[in-house]
Amino acid sequence: MMTTAAIGVTGLRAKYSGEEQLIFKDLSLQIPQGQKLLLLGPSGCGKSTLLHIMSGIIPGTIRMPMVAEHIEKPASWGFVFQDPDTQFCMSYVDEELAFVLENQRLPQAQMEQRIVEALATVQLRLPRLHTPIAELSQGMKQRLALAAALLLQPEVVFLDEPSALLDPEGKQMIWQSIRAALQQQTVIVVEHHIDGILDWFDRVVVLDDAGSIIADEKPQTMFEQHKALLLQYGIWHPHIWEQAWQAKPVRRFRSVDPLKIKQNDHKGSTAKYPMQSQAAPPLLELEGFSVTRGACTVEVPYAAAGQGEWIAITGVNGAGKSTLLLALARLLPSSGSYHLSGKPAPAEIPEQISYVFQNPELQFITDTIIDEVLHSLLLRNEQADANENEQPLKRGSLLKLFTPRSKRGKSAKAKQRRQALTEQAMAALDQLKLHVPYERHPYELSIGQKRRLSVLTALVEGRSVLLLDEPTFGQDARSTFVMLEWLLQLQAAGNTIVMVTHDEQIATRFATQIWQVQASQLNVKLPQDAAPDKEADDEQRAELVYT
Amino acid sequence: MNNVLNWFTPSKQTWLHRCNPSVKFVLLFLMMLYVFFSRTIEIYLMFIVCLSALLWSCSGFPPRKIALLHIPVVISGLSSAISLTLFGRGSSVIWQWWIVKISHESIHSGLMIGTKSILIGVIGLLLLLTSPPVQLIYSLMQQLRLPAKYAYSFLAGLRLIPFMIEEYQLRSNALRIRRVKREKGLRGVYLTIKLYSIPLMAQAIRRAHRIGIAMVAKQFRQQRTYYYVTGFSKNDGFFIGIVVLCMLAAVLGSKLISH
Repeated sequence: MMTTAAIGVTGLRAKYSGEEQLIFKDLSLQIPQGQKLLLLGPSGCGKSTLLHIMSGIIPGTIRMPMVAEHIEKPASWGFVFQDPDTQFCMSYVDEELAFVLENQRLPQAQMEQRIVEALATVQLRLPRLHTPIAELSQGMKQRLALAAALLLQPEVVFLDEPSALLDPEGKQMIWQSIRAALQQQTVIVVEHHIDGILDWFDRVVVLDDAGSIIADEKPQTMFEQHKALLLQYGIWHPHIWEQAWQAKPVRRFRSVDPLKIKQNDHKGSTAKYPMQSQAAPPLLELEGFSVTRGACTVEVPYAAAGQGEWIAITGVNGAGKSTLLLALARLLPSSGSYHLSGKPAPAEIPEQISYVFQNPELQFITDTIIDEVLHSLLLRNEQADANENEQPLKRGSLLKLFTPRSKRGKSAKAKQRRQALTEQAMAALDQLKLHVPYERHPYELSIGQKRRLSVLTALVEGRSVLLLDEPTFGQDARSTFVMLEWLLQLQAAGNTIVMVTHDEQIATRFATQIWQVQASQLNVKLPQDAAPDKEADDEQRAELVYT
Repeated sequence: MNNVLNWFTPSKQTWLHRCNPSVKFVLLFLMMLYVFFSRTIEIYLMFIVCLSALLWSCSGFPPRKIALLHIPVVISGLSSAISLTLFGRGSSVIWQWWIVKISHESIHSGLMIGTKSILIGVIGLLLLLTSPPVQLIYSLMQQLRLPAKYAYSFLAGLRLIPFMIEEYQLRSNALRIRRVKREKGLRGVYLTIKLYSIPLMAQAIRRAHRIGIAMVAKQFRQQRTYYYVTGFSKNDGFFIGIVVLCMLAAVLGSKLISH
């Protein structure tokens, strides 16, 4: 039945160097020519490793203990990796594509034409060939990577989560290009989402946590029969939100009605807070607020967030969402009025504000996971002490984390206190189900766990406003839902959450207000009437993308 | 970061840009070596005059930018000249106070080190401003047989610099947000270096590793053709001629000055 296999492995065993456990145990997978295969599985089950082995990158370039009865390697192959920023060695579009052609020893005179053709095939239209790669959007970079792979004239194309780090528009466009450009080739794709792409595949293979094949089906049967499996493995599919959040009605907790305020404000009434008699002024309030970074400006006519609110900041790439968030943390200079709990916000980082960056690694400051949490707890204590006007804890508590344990905490009391805080830190890790060895270095965690740890360190500081920059970006569904659960708990405890997100589902399901940044202007919307404003979005996108 | 790159793009291309970068590199490098091991102030001065004339007239950059780029060159020249003049060794003392001792010899060596560093700076600017790195590397591969693996690692490394700058800014914001307090003294310096270098290195190593794999996946080979073909032209002869003229002028001029 099976025609000649273009590519395949038989009896594959492999393990990561330095680890006991095998990632593959006698795995066999044959892929006939021209097949479009989708490889699914939980994070860390070895899907990417399998692509590397099938392409020969392992053991050719990366060394790894492995044996196989037989590996049928493709005669020619191309590879598109996940991260748009680490695929190119040159700085300009034409130079990068020429690099591929140089490797094949194509005469220089033919290069330009091949480059133009490749760009046309992946539908990447640029004003000129010599465009800096840094000026492309992430989605365009992925299409460029696809063009580079095509220039190798491959029989087999490997795509390792090609759209995981793209926004919804970028996702749609890269898949459009993949469908158009890879009709003839054998294509093997690893992905964490199957929204709108499943119909293109001939076959879906699911790996489990141990790296064994537990399903090998046609796409339609796969989706119907293994829906539970998809949720369990954190694979995004069109109905996953209903499936996962069915039983949990989302609470909407609001102390200030933003629209009401806005209307009143327009009428020029003196009572700015309609609920002022009952409620305190909003926790966070912006009026005539404006911030500029580079070419991007965000103006906020009026916006306010009360205690326990969940604000989603949305907008297209480059609209200035992160810029606004940085300005709220006073990490960027801004103008206009910015009040926290009715008082003008200080020029330095306000006490009430925690912030979680997109890249968690850049936010870790100690050598062990437990110290990471402990640092935040110490800060909280210090703050409490300062507030009570007691003798403040000695400055530079972070330094203690670097000094040998024996030298830390001179008095018995300080020691005791530290012990208590360490226990608290452990409890916090346990409570939020971050089950990891406490003494490990934070960098040893998986990417999802790193994100969670970075949020946790912000949580335990116990500040009233938590700012998050795309905390669920590029994550599988499982990690995303865990994160959302946490944030819900936090919201229930009365904290205010302000998060930048591309995910419409999160914005409409969880947020109490949506702050949409559009054409340098912030518009406040309620989630129930946040029907996506397609026209305006497209207009703005046309400016950003050269199509 | 693109602004930085644009800043280094000349406002017009001149014959100097069309010279073969390897020719420029070799000639200017030899000149630098000569300057390094010679000890004649007059020759330095003449070289500075000649090469500056070339730089200001033919580099294709507006004078304002060239002047700005001279600031670090002049600062390093002046500072080394002054320190050597004030503290240099010498027997015929002119003026002495505490540890400051100015002598004829120290003035001479101060002048020499000052002009030397300014000259090396000018040579560097001449090369830097008229040969884009990509062109230079391509030319080095083609004319000087630089192995492709080093050439492309260098070019890939160049691409990493903007990321590192961005990450440095992110890191310093992140440290502020986590309210890390800076300790005074040497320990503080050590801790600050540690706080910055470890995450930035970790990111850079991972990124470099990924780019390396991506290059292998694009079937990188040492044996290759070149997108930018660099050859020799009349401009190169012109450049060599000018450099020879400079040398002659320098030697003759220095004789004249010293007479």
